[in-house]
Amino acid sequence: MPWELKPDRPIYAQLIEQLQLLVISGIYPPGSKLPSVRELAAEASVNPNTMQRALAKLEDEGLLFSQRTSGRFVTEDAGRIVQTKRDLAEKLTREFLGNMGRLGYDARGAVSLLERITKEEEQNG
Amino acid sequence: MDSILECRGLTKRFPGCLALNAVNLSVAKGKIVGLLGPNGSGKTTLIKLINGLLTPDGGTITVSGRKPGVETKKIISYLPERTYLNDWMDVRTILDFFSDFYADFNRAKAYDMLQRLHIDPGSRLKTLSKGTKEKVQLILVMSREAQLYVLDEPIGGVDPAARDYILDTILSNYRENASLILSTHLIADVEKILDEVIFINRGSVVLTSSVDDIREHEGKSVDAMFREVFRC
Amino acid sequence: MLGKLIKYEIRATQRIFLPLYGLILAFALLNRLFRAAAPESAESLSLPINVSAFVNGLTMMVYVALIVALAVMTLIVTIRRFQRGLLGDEGYLMFTLPVEVHSHIDCKMIVTLIWTVLSLLVSALSIFILAVDESSMQRFSEGCLRFRDFFRQYGASSYLILLECIVLFVVLALMDTLQIYASIAVGSRSARHKLLAGFGAFIGFTVVMMTVSSWIFNSAVGYPSGWLRAQLGNLARGLAPEAAVELALGLLILYSALFGVAFYALTNWLLSRKLNLE
Repeated sequence: MPWELKPDRPIYAQLIEQLQLLVISGIYPPGSKLPSVRELAAEASVNPNTMQRALAKLEDEGLLFSQRTSGRFVTEDAGRIVQTKRDLAEKLTREFLGNMGRLGYDARGAVSLLERITKEEEQNG
Repeated sequence: MDSILECRGLTKRFPGCLALNAVNLSVAKGKIVGLLGPNGSGKTTLIKLINGLLTPDGGTITVSGRKPGVETKKIISYLPERTYLNDWMDVRTILDFFSDFYADFNRAKAYDMLQRLHIDPGSRLKTLSKGTKEKVQLILVMSREAQLYVLDEPIGGVDPAARDYILDTILSNYRENASLILSTHLIADVEKILDEVIFINRGSVVLTSSVDDIREHEGKSVDAMFREVFRC
Repeated sequence: MLGKLIKYEIRATQRIFLPLYGLILAFALLNRLFRAAAPESAESLSLPINVSAFVNGLTMMVYVALIVALAVMTLIVTIRRFQRGLLGDEGYLMFTLPVEVHSHIDCKMIVTLIWTVLSLLVSALSIFILAVDESSMQRFSEGCLRFRDFFRQYGASSYLILLECIVLFVVLALMDTLQIYASIAVGSRSARHKLLAGFGAFIGFTVVMMTVSSWIFNSAVGYPSGWLRAQLGNLARGLAPEAAVELALGLLILYSALFGVAFYALTNWLLSRKLNLE
């Protein structure tokens, strides 16, 4: 997965989201070992210190845990991952609604638009 | 002590111009810092002062607590904005040269990087293209296990693909406790790898901040911020 | 660290000098062989004499050109290694090495001295190759004998004088080199006309040295009542001739060394405090 970073938001916050996505989507499955900070930083072309901060935050949240000698792992707690997924989904939805609001759609209008598009895609697909 | 570089009231005059005007700044250990400013703002002057290639006219500059000199040169790895390779050595000899003079030069690492870039260690420096010369210099500089890396416009004259390669090399060879100062005017390309930025203009520091602070508080990239600060 | 600097400086310059040395010795030998073989080969190959004379003249001409080239190259290399190696782009590499600034001057100066001495030895050897025959060998051994007599007659003094002559040569060679370095360092302060300014500085230094020398010379021997003359007179009174020569050489060494030290100090100051690479 390519790392996409937008220019107008803190890199640190974006890294957290992208790492959450990597875990939720199962690219890093529960209990698996993560690459080192340096590898991840090089992959994302970001500063290792920033990557380190993002990883530490995710550790605080309990999505990741580290073992002193062997490295950093994804939690084995499936509930935790589901929780993260739900949080992220909620956040994205709120963002979506916020954007729609700026276009003049209230929540109901947005939902009906969503339903129409979903139906069309189902017919096409 | 947690800063690698300290400048207090640092001043440098050239005939008919004040290149640096009472600059105060400090760079923490383990940080990657962007020294950003338009051409002629004093970036290179500051970098030369750090490397002892110029002597200050006022104020102080210390690297790891010492004035620039033999001891600071041992711990600084410097990439100037021009090629300094002579015309008589081959690549292997310049690697020998570096390992003779710098105790922290990692020869294996240098050979590894040469191989990945398909640069023949037997080729004469004189015969290399400008781009290859720049790569060889970057390899020399990043193969040292220094405490402070100072890179003056490392991506200035190269195409975007080479730019990515250079930033990649910097990131993958930079060590955790080392600090890195990088001067450039191509901010969009480097801001992702920076911890902090120092904006410098007409010899004065106009802003120091962390990259994420700028993004968080201003809601815009460092590049956009830079354009705003230095709007003509 | 000085040793390492010298190692690379020699490697940088040997590719110019060693081939020249080889060529000079080769042409000296060639000329010698042609001359030795000329009368017989001209007869046996029934070549006209003037062909062998032509070949002879040609090798001699090349030889002389090579000797001139060697002298010129020594000067050019001295200038270029300092100008380009320290004050050009390569200065970015050299002045960020963890060595003291004076080590760079020491290194360049010592390597220049090494090449100067080697060039003189090679030239002498080539002349020997060109000229050696029975009569010259005889004159050479006579000269050696005369030297031996001289050494016998004056004992320790003669060794001292020989040593002083060598030291004087070294000091003079170093002083000349340092005068060139100081001139280049001064010239590099000029924004545009580095070469011209360097040349001007060299002439300026020479004028200063000549003025000082002529003043000293005048007060030593010119005016009958000069202060220095009186001092030297007192000093020399009652000295044996060999002791007077020792003293004179010693003073000359000291005098040239003083200028050398001044040039060295100026160069070091300019390079360490006033360096400004483009």
